[in-house]
Amino acid sequence: MARKEVTQTTQQSDKKLRTKDLIYAGAFGAIYIVLMLIVVLGTSAIPVLYILAPFTVGVVCATVYELCVLKVHKFGPALILGVLFALVACSGNVLGMVLAIVAALAAELIIMAGKYKSKKMFLLSFLAFNLNMVCPYTMLYFHRDEFMARSVSFYGQAFADELAKYAINGLAFIQIGLALIGAGIGVLIASKLIKKHFEKGNIV
Amino acid sequence: MDFSIYGDDSKALIRFDPRTKLFIFLACGVTSLYTYSGLYILLFAGAVCAVLALSGKPWTALKAFLLFAVALYIKEAVDHSGSSAPVVVLIVSVLSTIILYSLPTILSILLIVQTTRISQFLSALTAMHLPVKAVIPVAMLFRFIPTVQDEWNGIRKAMAFRGISLSFSSVLRHPGKTIEYVLVPLLFSTIGVMEELAAAALARGMDIDVKRSSYEEVRLRAADYITMLIFAALSVTIVVLVTTKGAAGV
Repeated sequence: MARKEVTQTTQQSDKKLRTKDLIYAGAFGAIYIVLMLIVVLGTSAIPVLYILAPFTVGVVCATVYELCVLKVHKFGPALILGVLFALVACSGNVLGMVLAIVAALAAELIIMAGKYKSKKMFLLSFLAFNLNMVCPYTMLYFHRDEFMARSVSFYGQAFADELAKYAINGLAFIQIGLALIGAGIGVLIASKLIKKHFEKGNIV
Repeated sequence: MDFSIYGDDSKALIRFDPRTKLFIFLACGVTSLYTYSGLYILLFAGAVCAVLALSGKPWTALKAFLLFAVALYIKEAVDHSGSSAPVVVLIVSVLSTIILYSLPTILSILLIVQTTRISQFLSALTAMHLPVKAVIPVAMLFRFIPTVQDEWNGIRKAMAFRGISLSFSSVLRHPGKTIEYVLVPLLFSTIGVMEELAAAALARGMDIDVKRSSYEEVRLRAADYITMLIFAALSVTIVVLVTTKGAAGV
């Protein structure tokens, strides 16, 4: 009788997110956001690195993300992480927020496609997740009009046109590419670190 | 251990409701996108600092406000100088804009993290009729930021003992190693804390589906309504002014 109850509860907890999983997701979210803020604010002293942030954050934060999804091992953690990220990084920017959540959902679906077993799918999902680093910049892409109006009076029409072409069409794609490359390197580091340390430590 | 980093409102003149602080956080997110509106954004930052000071952190508030004012002054000075060195102008104005852009949001996060106890936060979020699945991660997020800070300080000391430098040049020379040296101990120690917190939450009956009662009394008082009204008015004014008149009109 007692044994039956135990198996029932474990079955239940295998499907649904329990409080424990929510706590893990929230705490990993805090680590992710603190690291992201350190990386972004630490590197933004050099303006070029500010544009490169999707790359650097992908490299550093991949391990945190992978540990979170591997630890919880259900539907939900990547989505919760994505929503928390959107709340902090894109607050007030509705479009960016929606896109960030869509990216997290895509990551969740990739993990689901691997049936929560395939390690490759877990690793791969970060590529989709890291696209959310582009989302805080969406306002920059679309708010260029005002910025452009200013630079017209500063530098003249021809220069502003050149800048606009480069900034709006180029920047978004460059940043998406950077986010993907950064995520790829980050995932390599993450899988190495997980194999080297966290599997031995019985954490995942 | 420094207890004050985990939310301390014992020195507060006015105890604002956590919901008011969340509202300020949202208002900061909206207005920070319109940072080029000079005087109004200074007024806005001043209001955030005033709330922070009233919540028992006057010195942090004063320092932040001075930093903000200096950044704004430099930006305005550079914008109107008509200097012939475009690279210097670009770098200085980008730097000051980043400070102007991020400081209000960071201050509002500080306001939530440093002056709100976790139980207050939980009961305020529950009073907003949010589902448990949304309440726990958000509360954990704000509860855990100081923990990460704490562990990070410990790790930095431990690294210094072993002669591993975290200076800018050593980070640049060994980026991979730095990531490993920082992330592995940080994750190991915080996962330990997470497990303890999960056990504590189970012991406090967070896992049952019944509505929980709380000793914490959360109520929106007159001061909360007035603060929310001020912030709503300020954000609406800034957004409307910038969108109708353009950046130059303010």
